[in-house]
Amino acid sequence: MSVVWADGGPWRLDSLQPTLRPISSVCRMFGRQAGGANPPTVSSTATGAANSGGASGGQGHDKLKIGFCTDLDKSVLVNNFEKRGWHQVNGDDDWHFYWAGVQTCRNIFSVDSGYRMHDNQMINHFPNHYELSRKDLLVKNIKRYRKDLERDGNPLAEKTESNNSSGTRYLYLDFVPTTFVLPADYNMFVEEYRKFPLSTWIMKPCGKSQGAGIFLINKLSKLKKWSREAKGPFHPQIAKESYVISRYIDNPLLIGGKKFDLRLYVLVASFRPLKAYLFKQGFCRFCTVKYDTSVTELDNMYVHLTNVSVQKHGGEYNTLHGGKWSVQNLALYLEGTRGKEVTDRLFGAISWLIVHSLRAVAPVMASDRHCFECYGYDIIIDNALKPWLVEVNASPSLTSTTVNDRILKYKLIDNILSVVLPPDGVPDVRWNKVPSADALGNFELLIDEELAAQEEQHQNSTNAHNKASKMGSRWK
Amino acid sequence: MEELQDASIHHMTAKVISAIKNTKCYEPLFKELQRLVCNPAVDTHDMRNTLEDAIKGAGLETEIRNIVYNLVRSRLTRPDEKTQASKQNTKPTVSDPLGYLKRAGVLWDRRVRKSLNAMCTELKVPLHGQPRISADREDFMAKWNELSNYNMDLANYRPVYAPKDLLEVLLSLKGPAKTTEPTDHIPLWEFSHIALPVKNLFELRAHYADLLRSDSYLGVPDLTIQCQRILEARHAPMCQQFLKKGCTPAPYRGALWASVLDSKLHDYDIEYWQKLRNSVWTTDHIVDKLVFKDIQLTASNDDQYFVFEDVLYQVLLCFSRDTDIGGCVEYEAFPVKGKTYEGPPSGVVPFHGICMFAAPFCYLYDSPVNLYYTFRAFYIRYCHRLTTINTHPQGIVSLCLLFEKLLQTYEPQLWSHFRELQIQPLRVVFKWLMRAFSGHLPPDQLLILWDLILGFDSLEILPLFAIIILSFRKESIMQVASLDSIEAILADLSSIKVLPLVQLALSRD
Repeated sequence: MSVVWADGGPWRLDSLQPTLRPISSVCRMFGRQAGGANPPTVSSTATGAANSGGASGGQGHDKLKIGFCTDLDKSVLVNNFEKRGWHQVNGDDDWHFYWAGVQTCRNIFSVDSGYRMHDNQMINHFPNHYELSRKDLLVKNIKRYRKDLERDGNPLAEKTESNNSSGTRYLYLDFVPTTFVLPADYNMFVEEYRKFPLSTWIMKPCGKSQGAGIFLINKLSKLKKWSREAKGPFHPQIAKESYVISRYIDNPLLIGGKKFDLRLYVLVASFRPLKAYLFKQGFCRFCTVKYDTSVTELDNMYVHLTNVSVQKHGGEYNTLHGGKWSVQNLALYLEGTRGKEVTDRLFGAISWLIVHSLRAVAPVMASDRHCFECYGYDIIIDNALKPWLVEVNASPSLTSTTVNDRILKYKLIDNILSVVLPPDGVPDVRWNKVPSADALGNFELLIDEELAAQEEQHQNSTNAHNKASKMGSRWK
Repeated sequence: MEELQDASIHHMTAKVISAIKNTKCYEPLFKELQRLVCNPAVDTHDMRNTLEDAIKGAGLETEIRNIVYNLVRSRLTRPDEKTQASKQNTKPTVSDPLGYLKRAGVLWDRRVRKSLNAMCTELKVPLHGQPRISADREDFMAKWNELSNYNMDLANYRPVYAPKDLLEVLLSLKGPAKTTEPTDHIPLWEFSHIALPVKNLFELRAHYADLLRSDSYLGVPDLTIQCQRILEARHAPMCQQFLKKGCTPAPYRGALWASVLDSKLHDYDIEYWQKLRNSVWTTDHIVDKLVFKDIQLTASNDDQYFVFEDVLYQVLLCFSRDTDIGGCVEYEAFPVKGKTYEGPPSGVVPFHGICMFAAPFCYLYDSPVNLYYTFRAFYIRYCHRLTTINTHPQGIVSLCLLFEKLLQTYEPQLWSHFRELQIQPLRVVFKWLMRAFSGHLPPDQLLILWDLILGFDSLEILPLFAIIILSFRKESIMQVASLDSIEAILADLSSIKVLPLVQLALSRD
């Protein structure tokens, strides 16, 4: 307690970073169930290991000056790198840390480039991140993951009667809306469509982001018309592109009458074994216009799409808050108006959804030890408080729309760096990637398969009392 | 002695009975009682006992107890004050040491109403409002749930007053000069000359002693279960006691607050809400514009509350039409010559930031009508004292005085720092006090602070908490030398945690 009092307040941080606000160290999101912000027990047992691993890896480069390279000239990135005393270098020079665009990353990993990374280099993408971030591949991978589990007779793949899709649905793994890839799955889509002729569908180009090229349809004729036009001479680019068509979540949870989605940040330090962390300070992105399902509003994207890039152009866009509301406030509101149990269930379901989407792509990901990646998860909550995964972005926007947004993103980058870097701050692939509890910052551990396995082993060998780590066993 | 006590109980009972008869709940209560009397279990030969049992059995006893509790807490104390005030009215006023304060209160209220009247004249709109033309009425009704899309030109409207204006008036309050001290030793900006009694830290500790107790109620350690049992028992005093812990589980807060503030919904409340709504739909009033303007200037831009914009329009518009409010809030009574002005139907002239008193309730209630009654009760009991000049021990003047005395006594270093810089410390914290920290603390912490206001039935937590924050950031404040820099240090309260800080301050030696 005396620490709280004696500390001259987190203000001192402000004086160094005039535009930055310290972010409360005690967060109330997913950590709520585990009793406050205490990191999962696993990480504390592993702290010793982390230090020793770091020490051995850090040998010999005491004087190493770290060179960073970035394709994005964003102050939240550069300020964070410079704060750590790194200096900026060119992509052709000897760099240690590269915040790259996906194209650069592809070039570095391509066989043609002949580039081989050394042990003290790190880069912010996995070579084939598109397995998760492309809308069509994500769905393909999840479908395959479920089928594999089903074949193995895994209880996770249990199915149940369904009332809104083809006969049955997965009891635990039903977290993406029914989706087909067009034109490939056109016949399957038509079959599904005929079963529920009154439903609305959303069309998205596979390779685009920020709401570009998205539209809603509620009649098959409209899709046919679109397809005819796309084949015409005026839109050669559309013809080449593939689309996904998904059942539109037409019963979203509304707050203040408005639709919103969640943007959560998930850091993956490794896919095999899977090590993933969830940033506790996600936010809700609100539409500026009242939600309205009437047919006349079907083409009004300000009603349906929550993307900031779309909403920004609406007349109602507020530049002070940018339509962003913190996940902590969402939790407070839901607890106050709907109760604790349903709120806990919702946030539990969100963690569940993230972990299984990552597990679905883990086998096909090239889990290079030089790589880590921060994903922007877009999730919609329906009015039964069930979360739906809409899409995953491998390069979530680092542009700040408001002051708070800037603080949040600065903190995000800072925390990412402290999680993925060994304790001595020098990139090193030989490090065991077990950050200390302090290094997590506002991240909380979602899953660490390696630690979970160790924990299990440890338990089996010592037959210790049933102190199973919640995290370790929860995802079994 | 016993006789006297007996008489006083009889006197009190008579007062309570007559007060109950004047409440809206009397009629349903009476009907329920009549129904119970017809109950076969009630025996005409043993009327007293059998009827009492029937009342207990039907849960009516708790309800009556809650009504009495609430009357004693609020309305019953008022007629006394009024008679006192009227007595003073007849007396020469010079003898009242607080006369100048009461006078200032009356003048302030008059000034605010005068501004509103002037605005009406300037904009050529009647103060009493005018019927909406039918097209406007239909538009208004159609957009009732999305009033943020109701278009009107607000360019000529500005808030009638802001915290800054009230602060200036407070700082210029001059009491009768004390002859014993040379006047040049009393800095013009101190409140200490005001002869209102305020608590010292020792007394505050005694008042907030329950905050430091760690014993659990009902012998159950689990807060959720405690809360459920308390709510099942429906005893308002128990609910109030529970809020004193400062760790109310969010799902039960709405029900606990409604219980303490006696704002649980009855059928007549819903009818009355519809009546207020109809009044908003049919008449166009200048306060509507002021309400819209205020929400647009504050809540709509606030990243904690903007999602609730449309609910706030409904709540504050109905609030402006609610004539019951005028009968419940306390105004200073003091004979001052000059013209008097009429106010809006509720008697409350909207000021810059009034909607921030309602905004935190959006985290408690989903339906506007539930929100409305608890907010209204909270406003009447607490907020009103923060926005008017009054002599109430929890009025803004007393709170300012308490703040200054605490600062002087417990943070003398800060006090002299402010003094050297010729900065009135009150300037730094006044907006916190006047808004009860709404819009300054993040909602989860603000609700805890308001739990404590309700639990201890006192606004004194506000100046105490202001001191705590200054003390917490003392080191940084000591290093800067301008009002702007001090304000910058105190601008962001997002990392402040209410309960540990208050507990620490109260337990510190």
